[in-house]
Amino acid sequence: MVTVLGWLAALAIVVGLATGFGMAPREVTQGNVQRIMYLHVPAVWVAYLAFTVGFVASVVYLARRREAADRLAHAACEVGTVFLGVNIATGAIWGKPTWGTWWTWDARLTSVAVVFVMFLAYLLLRQAVEDRERGARYAAVLAIVAALNIPLVHFSVYWWRTLHQPPSLLKPGASAMPPIILAALLVNFGALAILGAYFIARRARVLAGEAEAMA
Amino acid sequence: MPDNWGFVAAAYGLAAVVFGGYWRRLVRKERELTALRADRANRSRPPSGTAHPRPDAGWRAPLQ
Repeated sequence: MVTVLGWLAALAIVVGLATGFGMAPREVTQGNVQRIMYLHVPAVWVAYLAFTVGFVASVVYLARRREAADRLAHAACEVGTVFLGVNIATGAIWGKPTWGTWWTWDARLTSVAVVFVMFLAYLLLRQAVEDRERGARYAAVLAIVAALNIPLVHFSVYWWRTLHQPPSLLKPGASAMPPIILAALLVNFGALAILGAYFIARRARVLAGEAEAMA
Repeated sequence: MPDNWGFVAAAYGLAAVVFGGYWRRLVRKERELTALRADRANRSRPPSGTAHPRPDAGWRAPLQ
């Protein structure tokens, strides 16, 4: 099942690249550098999804103390951190030619950096506490607190004056995006979502194997 | 606005390195786990009895 998901992810990425570079037109204002959007935006959506899975699994772990839930939370938060890292790095690369700077401390960028650091702390915490059960409990609390910041990241562009543009899609009302660009964005989101699911499934399997080996 | 293809290549190249690196990390961890399981299976197996053959009943060390 995991292997099938992996091949599906590879195929979906090829299709995503073909739509992002072959089907979607050159954007009028920004030129071809806008094609970074097909990677930058889906990466943060997948990170949000992974952190949501991590949030739910952490709540389940705290309520029921099921180790499978803890492993799922660990895998999802780790994969979410990888995708969020890609989002931040590609945003900086996109920012340089369009804004004239790699980084600025505006509300969106600062809030997303805070969430990224919180999930890095989560991963460090998992390794730092020797007692496995206690480490899992602390990590679950941190994952819940960190994931609660995601709405703050999303709405930061409305609540504060920011250099970052407001959401083009995850907002009330119709999207102002041309349908072909929207289609390319959604195809790439699908591809990265499958890749994220594959990574989470494989990481959870490794964690289960490690737990079995330690027992 | 110029196309800035270099920035596009940098963004996609960086993502490929990060995702590829993470995938390789998972593969390495699975290999380590497989090796650990094999090692444990070998240790838990009872000795075959042929590894350290007993000397013959009449054999004595030279000083005895």
